[in-house]
Amino acid sequence: MKRVLVALLAISMAAGVLTGCGSKGSDKTFTVGFDAEFPPYGYRDDNGEYVGFDLDLAAEVCKRQGWELVKQPIDWDAKDMELSSGAIDCIWNGFTMNGREDAYTWTEPYVDNSQVFVVAAASGVQNKEELAGKVVAVQKDSSALAALNDEENSDNIALRDSFAQLIEYADYNTAFMDLEQGAVDAVAIDIGVAQYQIAQREAGKFVMLQGEDNKLAVEQYAVGFLKGNDELRDTVQKTLDEMAADGTFTQIAEKWGLTDSVCLGK
Amino acid sequence: MSLLTMSAQLAEGFLITVEIFVLTLLFSLPLGLIVAFGRMSGCKVIRIISKIYISIMRGTPLMLQIIVVYFAPFYVFRMHVGTGYRFPAVIVAFVINYAAYFAEIYRAGIESIPVGQYEAAQVLGYSKAQTFVKIILPQVVKRVLPPVTNETITLVKDTSMAFTISIAEMFTVAKQIGAAQTSVVPLLAAGVFYYIFNLVVASFMEYLEKKTSYYR
Repeated sequence: MKRVLVALLAISMAAGVLTGCGSKGSDKTFTVGFDAEFPPYGYRDDNGEYVGFDLDLAAEVCKRQGWELVKQPIDWDAKDMELSSGAIDCIWNGFTMNGREDAYTWTEPYVDNSQVFVVAAASGVQNKEELAGKVVAVQKDSSALAALNDEENSDNIALRDSFAQLIEYADYNTAFMDLEQGAVDAVAIDIGVAQYQIAQREAGKFVMLQGEDNKLAVEQYAVGFLKGNDELRDTVQKTLDEMAADGTFTQIAEKWGLTDSVCLGK
Repeated sequence: MSLLTMSAQLAEGFLITVEIFVLTLLFSLPLGLIVAFGRMSGCKVIRIISKIYISIMRGTPLMLQIIVVYFAPFYVFRMHVGTGYRFPAVIVAFVINYAAYFAEIYRAGIESIPVGQYEAAQVLGYSKAQTFVKIILPQVVKRVLPPVTNETITLVKDTSMAFTISIAEMFTVAKQIGAAQTSVVPLLAAGVFYYIFNLVVASFMEYLEKKTSYYR
């Protein structure tokens, strides 16, 4: 019994040491808050590393500034608290600026993003009007949801009201599982994430509704800083501009297959 | 991704889960006893304070308590906490929450001992402290083991709430892998991890129950 207690104590102390020494000393750290369930912008790769288009951009900025990059996966619901308490320096994660212009200090947008609908190929649905009376899934607090609830866009409101039901999910993986088992008929989602999901899943099973008319909203991604933190924003913006000018930005976009949607320096 | 790589990554998250589990028990079990004493104290003020504490801890969601413990220093006192505060904050929140439940379990155990035993001990010349440590406590321990096991197993599963303040324990890792691989397998694998761990916990508690099967 005593030995067991001693062993438990030893484990817990060792564990404490392991977590306690996570941060190394460096001149300046740059902590990026991101949702690690948002490929291809920020997610966990096969080796357990946090990777993605946005994280690569952040890494390049840090390299040029001589900062140490800290990748901090956050609970998306707590992003504002994380930012204002100073636990993270910015939110860099396919972060839609439209509708949030006044809530953060933003860089220039670097990705043109739109919201699309993904349906099961077998359903035969071709355009968004056919979604009337159907069940549509969306991620909570996402731009797709914001677009559907945009009171100033009567088309979107009418579209939303035509659905039998709009269900909010904690993450897109769960939404797609529900789409796969037929409990929902469509998923409203960012185009970049939609492409990733369709490519990763069984070929030909899911399709995106094609055509500009079927897009829900056109919006832009930018890096969000705490309101008033212009100094840090300006430094990051300047570095991003340099990266766009010397082609590094395009290279990184190519690596992630996002050349069609990036807009920095265009 | 092979099942082996996935398990290896889950194991990393599992280490965090185990850390939360062990540290929470380490501190909440003794703290619960103190709260239980407060709850049964002869002093009315201490009794009421303990009652309010238990009532708040049991009456509000653990998720909210985690958020409050982590963010209150900044939002209430404007103190800047480093990112190293995340893990301690999780532990503090879990400890104060679980101590409240343990306190009530202890109280049930202590109050289940017949008054006659206290009277008999007094007649035999035992002091109050002696009565508690030598006569009451050994009986309480064996009586509270089953409900404590219940709480302990719940704790294993509650650790997934640590991600509220971005501590990536096993379930979060499973969800992240699931999102990247667009698969549900990592979640099921995490379930296997939880089940095996709880099996170990339950067996250990059963062993303790056997060890304490005295006075029969």
